[in-house]
Amino acid sequence: MANATMDHMISLIVFIAALLIFIGLFSQSISTAITYQSHGALSTKNSDLLDTILLNPGMNATWGTDVGIPSAFGLQDPEFTQYELSSFSLMRLASSTGNVAEYDKTSPSIYYDQTTSGFGSVLLTPASQDLNYSTALRLLGINNTYGFQLTLIPDIAVSIAPTHTSSPLSLAISASGTGFPFAGAMINYCFIMVTLPQADIDYPSYTMQNGVVTTDQQGSASVSFPSVTDSNQVYAFIACAHLNGVAGIGYFTHCSTTDQYVVPIVQDMSSQRIALANSFDLNSTNPALLSLKYNATFVISKTDYTFSQLLLGISGGPNIVGTVASGAGNPYQAITLPSYTTGILVVTYQTGGSTNGGIILMPWGISSLAFPVTFGYIPTRQDWVTTDIRQVTVDGIAYQAKLELYNSQGQGRVVG
Amino acid sequence: MIRTIEVLFVIVILSGAFIGASYFAVLPSPRQVSPINLNRLSLTTLQLLDSNYDLSGAAFETDNSTLWGELKVALSATLPPNILYNLAVYDVNENSGLLYKNVTSISNADSLGATSDVSSYTVASSNVTFNVTPQRIGDSGNSGTLYILNCSDANGWWITGYTAQSLAQDLYASLSPYFVNTVMVQNTAQLAQLLSGNPLQGENLQNAVVINTYGEAVPIPSAYCQAPYSNDAYAYYSYFLGQKVNSYNWTWSSIVGYPFYYVSNTASFSSSQNSWGIYGMQKTAQGGVRAFLEGLDNQTYVNNANGVTSDVGVVTFTSQAINFCNYYGLYPSSYQTSTRALSNTILQSYDLTIAFNVFNPAGAYNPGAIYNHIAAGSTNVTGSLLAIGLTRTPDVRVTALGLLSYYQPRLYPSEYTANGTSRLVVLQLGLAGGA
Repeated sequence: MANATMDHMISLIVFIAALLIFIGLFSQSISTAITYQSHGALSTKNSDLLDTILLNPGMNATWGTDVGIPSAFGLQDPEFTQYELSSFSLMRLASSTGNVAEYDKTSPSIYYDQTTSGFGSVLLTPASQDLNYSTALRLLGINNTYGFQLTLIPDIAVSIAPTHTSSPLSLAISASGTGFPFAGAMINYCFIMVTLPQADIDYPSYTMQNGVVTTDQQGSASVSFPSVTDSNQVYAFIACAHLNGVAGIGYFTHCSTTDQYVVPIVQDMSSQRIALANSFDLNSTNPALLSLKYNATFVISKTDYTFSQLLLGISGGPNIVGTVASGAGNPYQAITLPSYTTGILVVTYQTGGSTNGGIILMPWGISSLAFPVTFGYIPTRQDWVTTDIRQVTVDGIAYQAKLELYNSQGQGRVVG
Repeated sequence: MIRTIEVLFVIVILSGAFIGASYFAVLPSPRQVSPINLNRLSLTTLQLLDSNYDLSGAAFETDNSTLWGELKVALSATLPPNILYNLAVYDVNENSGLLYKNVTSISNADSLGATSDVSSYTVASSNVTFNVTPQRIGDSGNSGTLYILNCSDANGWWITGYTAQSLAQDLYASLSPYFVNTVMVQNTAQLAQLLSGNPLQGENLQNAVVINTYGEAVPIPSAYCQAPYSNDAYAYYSYFLGQKVNSYNWTWSSIVGYPFYYVSNTASFSSSQNSWGIYGMQKTAQGGVRAFLEGLDNQTYVNNANGVTSDVGVVTFTSQAINFCNYYGLYPSSYQTSTRALSNTILQSYDLTIAFNVFNPAGAYNPGAIYNHIAAGSTNVTGSLLAIGLTRTPDVRVTALGLLSYYQPRLYPSEYTANGTSRLVVLQLGLAGGA
């Protein structure tokens, strides 16, 4: 009897223990499979979502060039098909890496999203007209289910650096792709040399010089400008490298002073109105009274990649001159860009009472200076983020569009 | 003891089940669980490389090492460093029995790894023009003549900025491929010959299309510049034209404005003008179109100068018209302004039915439509009127669109698989590293 009882107890204990162990083992396998399934579904969703964003222009299709909030989110250029994105829709995205600047002289917008890639080029768009991330999530129908970050990075990085500052000025150009030097590529460049006058009544002027060079096997090229004899010479150099339909843009500016400068601000996207602010007025409540003389022009890259000026002045001239003073009581200056043609607003400036100045570039359309775009947000410590990429063009400039997607409802949940 | 042994048996069975399940339930590699969509990356890379048709050029010049060197650089520069590729070009040939024949390929690795995907892209040779051959209206029947009024002795109205002759040339260029015969009526004497039933070049007079390029004016032969045609400010001439349209089952096309509002002959009316300084004209006014419709309906002539149009403002193409825009490659603006839209009341008054609406109706008015005349008790069409009641100046592509939408000739594109015209470019991408 005692043996039978012992046998019963031992077998029961062993059985229960074995059962628990096997439940754990099977649960582990099933859990891993569900996690894999969840990750696979997230990856599929990522690919679909990326195509949804890139292959439709949104609703209405012209939301990039007006101030309306679209009822559907998409970045495709409405005038093209396939993976051709609108430079202006991209410009309306509230960058997740930029800062916010305050400029209280314009109304009703006084806050601007600021994107820059170093001194010499800046893009400030009115925060009230930008499309923010939460709105995009809602328009895509994925709020509270997924989160994403969309990144557009130019395929071709064009960097420029001076190797000799004067007599002659020599610039080294380097073009490289994401995985390879851009060897044998043609580089169309535009050299803008600024003349700062002695007389107070005169405004800064400039000359434009176009040229072409070819990169070597390392993707490098160099250009020289013997006419530059002063190492303080103010100039801007814009280069477009292209090969087999793949194009990228780079630029370099040199200023003799950066203490105060002119800041172009996109005041209103729909009317293409650009405010020219004195940098002392940005984010400042009590700026000193200083003035800057300026000369503004608009440069476009044509289909053959050469650069030319577009008429900007009211009188039909290519440029507009004026003075912008900081401090209360001094209204900002404003210009209206000629059309929804992507290009570069070039503003040369000169500090009042001196022969120091500089040059500032502002892209009108994100691609004209190959600005990168980062839109959306990936929180740290996410368990699983999937990535998918596409090759796209934005007004002829090659970009790589990367979408990172995560499940905001937590790991293991299959959504959609 | 026996129970313990039974439990051990159960453990063995469960272990077997777990081992079996684990053996068959093979989980994919992490790279396969959440992969980059190489198929789409490949396709978008091919599209990028062909954005300036450089890929198309290289695909047909496979012996050009410079071109292929550049292509390789561009391909390597655009793809991420961890992506391996193999780009192959195939000749598309349907004559030799082998549909796809490998021509050349480039790659940056011997093997594309465990995970790869592929996209294909068809490119066309720049030396080949892909023709579209239109079906000709009247190829299989008793019709097929297009008359374009190009009379040198008449003036137009509401064609400001153009001449009737330039509009005639544009219409000839866009419509003549679709008709068996296209005849330019060079003067009003030739028009008189047509109205008397005599072809100009032996063409088929019956079931023809007549396009009046003179806007609101209609050329009138000198022989008709007298009574009875001159009755009621030449409204009777419009009545006579309506009768001829009925008799020959013509489709009369008015390209802009109020149809039959003036008659024009620069010789006969050399001293009279239309009150806006255009000489060689007589103003028929609003009675012209009603007289035409009376003639079309074989009614007894009664002068009726009551207006029959309305200013309806901005109008839009019908969805069918937009479809035909895409089919025939005609793209006038789908938004137009109509100030001479014909009233629906003419349908019942003159036995008309709308065969095709170019523009969406605006209430009881039709900004642009083709009207068929079908006499009471009959099922046959006996004459038609295309009335584009838009404001000046005319876009003759709207007229062309209206006629093509009505007759609907088919387009036959040439074959893309003809020998030497197309090549298939296949880009296979893989991820560097193991699975």
